[in-house]
Amino acid sequence: MGCGLSELVLEALFQSSVDEVSRLAGLTAEELAILEDADGAANELVVSEFEKYVERKYNPEIHRVLKRRNLMGVPIGTKYGGRGARQLVEALFMERMGQTGMGVITFADVHQCLGSLAIQDWGNEEQKARYLPDAAKGETIFAYGLTEPEAGSDPGSLKSSYVRDGNGFRITGSKYLISNGSISTRMIVFARPTAGGNPTAFILDTKGKGFSVDMRLEEKIGLFTSDTSMVSFEDAYVPKEDVLGQEGKGLSVAYSALLNGRIGIGSGCVGVMEDCLNQVRERATTRLQHGKEIARHQLIQKHVAFIESSLEACRWLIYRAAMKKDDYERDLRDLRLRTDADRLSAVAKYMSSRCAFESADRAVQCFGGFGYSIMSPVAKHFLDSRVARIYEGTDEIMELKIASTVLGKEFEAYR
Amino acid sequence: MQLHLEGTNSIASPREKVYSLLTDPGFISKSLPDAEEVRVLDATSLEARMKLRIAVVSTALKMKMTIEKTAPPSKATLLAEGAGSGSGLKIRSAFELSGDATTSIAWAADAEITGVMAGIGSTLLRGFAAKKVAEIFSDITRAIEEASR
Repeated sequence: MGCGLSELVLEALFQSSVDEVSRLAGLTAEELAILEDADGAANELVVSEFEKYVERKYNPEIHRVLKRRNLMGVPIGTKYGGRGARQLVEALFMERMGQTGMGVITFADVHQCLGSLAIQDWGNEEQKARYLPDAAKGETIFAYGLTEPEAGSDPGSLKSSYVRDGNGFRITGSKYLISNGSISTRMIVFARPTAGGNPTAFILDTKGKGFSVDMRLEEKIGLFTSDTSMVSFEDAYVPKEDVLGQEGKGLSVAYSALLNGRIGIGSGCVGVMEDCLNQVRERATTRLQHGKEIARHQLIQKHVAFIESSLEACRWLIYRAAMKKDDYERDLRDLRLRTDADRLSAVAKYMSSRCAFESADRAVQCFGGFGYSIMSPVAKHFLDSRVARIYEGTDEIMELKIASTVLGKEFEAYR
Repeated sequence: MQLHLEGTNSIASPREKVYSLLTDPGFISKSLPDAEEVRVLDATSLEARMKLRIAVVSTALKMKMTIEKTAPPSKATLLAEGAGSGSGLKIRSAFELSGDATTSIAWAADAEITGVMAGIGSTLLRGFAAKKVAEIFSDITRAIEEASR
């Protein structure tokens, strides 16, 4: 199925990923076109990402460039105006974006994997027709309102609540550390009935009455180009047509969205490792110390070997998780496939995020004193990749999840 | 660290006019963005203090530029060399003009960057350089087209 490979000239490490995946799983002409657009978008974002990072500000170019290059709806079905990419191709897209940094990944992952795909997977036909075309065109930006000040790893303990009001519901509560929170036009919000019961997922209009951005969270230690906010709902109205999935089954929506999101984040981490490798190779082969390039010093070579080995291992964990998810998409009745996809996405995200952070740490070390400056190309990866071990499932939750798939559900330690 | 850039641009002005302005240190001295304290030394060279801005960081470089008219009115080279603020920059560029009433410029530049600025890495530097080159060509094109009226 490989098509026109020799005509594409992509960033070198990404090219090798695309070539390998094409040989293994085949890539159609449209899929290669998506990846070529991704390569172009990443090249276009390099300068603005750096400038905004140094200024510690959200980068609006991320949205503009992805929208202009028709990359806001990569996994959304073509019926709704998206590019119709399977999970494997979405993973490759996120990998290339990851080379530009986790700020770009966070924006894309939340909008596409957590927001748009939640509607594609759980919405009725009317909801899909109403929301997905604008999401694919980039006219809508999605955010994902699950985390609260007192509900992080334990979303079941969330406190945001709702009451029925005529033909809809009114939501009251707060959400914390919400990526795309203050720039979103729609938010998937999770709340439970005031009288008690399991959470429900809603599609909320952030331009409607009752929604407010309390503050942009600008004191993070990294991820400066990503918008992160605290938001509140005060009797924010949602019509009954905007309940996503069934009432009381919100956590099912939440967990399945996180499965998509974890593959996205993990893919971005692979991109981070690729950029770290590129930057270290360039630095080490040009910087002279003790009369020779530092690349000739064995202890620098140790760092290079670690980054390269981590990259190769994590790439294939991600691709395998993505392919398993694609298998499940072809047969939604096969719950074993879903369990496998869930397990593999946890393993892939866990390993990729840890390896990306370790790789970025070693890359900073290879850059020496200059590596400790925000002007170095690797400092950003060091600061940003740290969050990948926390958001969309902490290392610890991933470990418990993975262990329970080996030991059996009766041994689950986080319930 | 080495960087290579190349491209083509078009100027709505006759070739001889474009060539004469592009090889005139006096004209170049007025067209350089971020240049302070420009001094034309003679018919083929100039000196300038350039403030290169990358994100919020400015690097001040003292540069000397020398023009060589290798094949008038078509080809010329420009060598720019300088240092400052812990960084060094050497650029060798060449252009070739073609056309008559409208001139097409095919240009290529090889830059060698050393010191602190080199640490930023070629991925970023290439992006910044492309942006700066586009800015320079926009300013020069406007200046030449106005001078030709």
